[in-house]
Amino acid sequence: MTEISTAQKLEAGATAVSPDVRISINNLEFFYGTSKALKGINLPLYANQVTAFIGPSGCGKSTLLRVLNRMYDLYPNQRAEGEVLLDGQNILAGDVDLNLLRARVGMVFQKPTPFPMSIYENIAFGVRLYEKLSKADMDVRVEQSLNRAALWKEVKDKLTSSGLSLSGGQQQRLCIARTVAVKPEVILFDEPCSALDPISTARIEELIDELKADYTIAIVTHNMQQASRVSDHTAFMYLGELMEFGHTKAMFTRPQNPKTQDYITGRFG
Amino acid sequence: MTMAFDQVRYRSRRRRSALTMGLCWFATAVGISALLIILGTLLLKGFGGLGIGVFTQMTPPPGSDGGLLNPIVGSLIMTVLGVAIGTPIGILAGTYLAEYGRHSRLSSVVRFVNDILLSAPSIIMGLFVYTVMVAPMGHFSGIAGAVSLAVLVIPIVVRTTEDMLLLVPTPLREAASALGMPRSLVIKQVAYKAARTGMITGVLLAIARVSGETAPLLFTALNSQFFSTNLNAPMASLPAVIFQFALSPYAEWQKLAWVGALIITAAVLTLSIAARALSAKGSK
Repeated sequence: MTEISTAQKLEAGATAVSPDVRISINNLEFFYGTSKALKGINLPLYANQVTAFIGPSGCGKSTLLRVLNRMYDLYPNQRAEGEVLLDGQNILAGDVDLNLLRARVGMVFQKPTPFPMSIYENIAFGVRLYEKLSKADMDVRVEQSLNRAALWKEVKDKLTSSGLSLSGGQQQRLCIARTVAVKPEVILFDEPCSALDPISTARIEELIDELKADYTIAIVTHNMQQASRVSDHTAFMYLGELMEFGHTKAMFTRPQNPKTQDYITGRFG
Repeated sequence: MTMAFDQVRYRSRRRRSALTMGLCWFATAVGISALLIILGTLLLKGFGGLGIGVFTQMTPPPGSDGGLLNPIVGSLIMTVLGVAIGTPIGILAGTYLAEYGRHSRLSSVVRFVNDILLSAPSIIMGLFVYTVMVAPMGHFSGIAGAVSLAVLVIPIVVRTTEDMLLLVPTPLREAASALGMPRSLVIKQVAYKAARTGMITGVLLAIARVSGETAPLLFTALNSQFFSTNLNAPMASLPAVIFQFALSPYAEWQKLAWVGALIITAAVLTLSIAARALSAKGSK
């Protein structure tokens, strides 16, 4: 595993035993047209751990997240160079089936995005793309997923009402349930709480903490407290470069890079 | 605390506000009264002639009583057929513009041409269909009438479909793709669902628009005094009969023209209200 050596070196002081690497990002460069948004990123994402991407606006943290499920591929003029290994397979390769990749790497967005259909259908829809389940099995899957997202109790009597009828926090948990239902390996969260109130935010954070038992999680957040609360590892990005990567606790108490220090103490950003 | 603002300046601001408000009210009144006068006249002249006979009898020869059965049926057939031909083409083309070809050069060309078609006089469309269908076939026909209406429907549906699909938020599409959904399904199951009311409204407005068209039908379906559902023969239509009867010197024909005008207006009004109600419901 030579490709993760840089990242491991960064961490060497902090941990003796490294957990399994699920995703390994090597020399990643990203371009919007001709402008370079990510410069030589090297970063591991560990299995069953939460990795937070922090940094000021425009630093490339969302861009990095959107490389991991190749969301950028929906748009012309956006391209990535380098290597992103998911379980050893380079997902940036041209022959990767994007739909299958996205079924393995789920994503929850900044604003809740329920589909214009019933709560039940919101979840069953994604499942049906890749699995043929009987009505009974589907019912079970829907219930499990809603339970997983701590939403089942609130919606079990109105599964047929529109997903849009839920509150913002509930909609976001519906989106998490929908993502979990497809049984991905990795879940990407793109500022999942920035449109939510503090109570809903706390629920989502608890959820992320529970979900990491089964999934590899990456989260982009503007909120430093959130990063320190939910993540095991933190990557600090600045102007398209990875400035520092390490254990969240270590990074928030004794950051190595003066830039990191300035950012997490609120001196800029 | 003393209020130190300039009283003169404030009064002049209030005067200008009142003046602008007055002009707005006046403009609204002019617009609405024009509509009310039209509706009032139609009701006054047409309502008296409205009876069951209008819907059961053929158009009469000059000097005798009759109804509007054949033009009503003809209009229904040609409008339904025209919309049935035009809507799928319009929706598919609109989908291409908003989804697959959003960034391509071809779409800007198609969009530009479609805008021209949208504002082209309908008589030109009639002449076009006359040239490509009526002339080669050697006679006027209902199917040519339907095609000329379809040609009018297409640009309207293309435009509303594209506009409505562009309103579907990008995150919704991305969320669907993020589940591993292929592009075609994202469009069919998510984008169409989200844009559905707007797209239906577009089709309803297209129906309202073409059901009153006269010029294209005069060049294609012509007109007919007989009841006919044969698409290969000339076919009567309400606008064409109104045109013919209103210009005639016969009192019975003129009366029927008013009744026909009332029926079309009522139908179009109903459709427009339905379209409004639907889009209001959709935006909730």
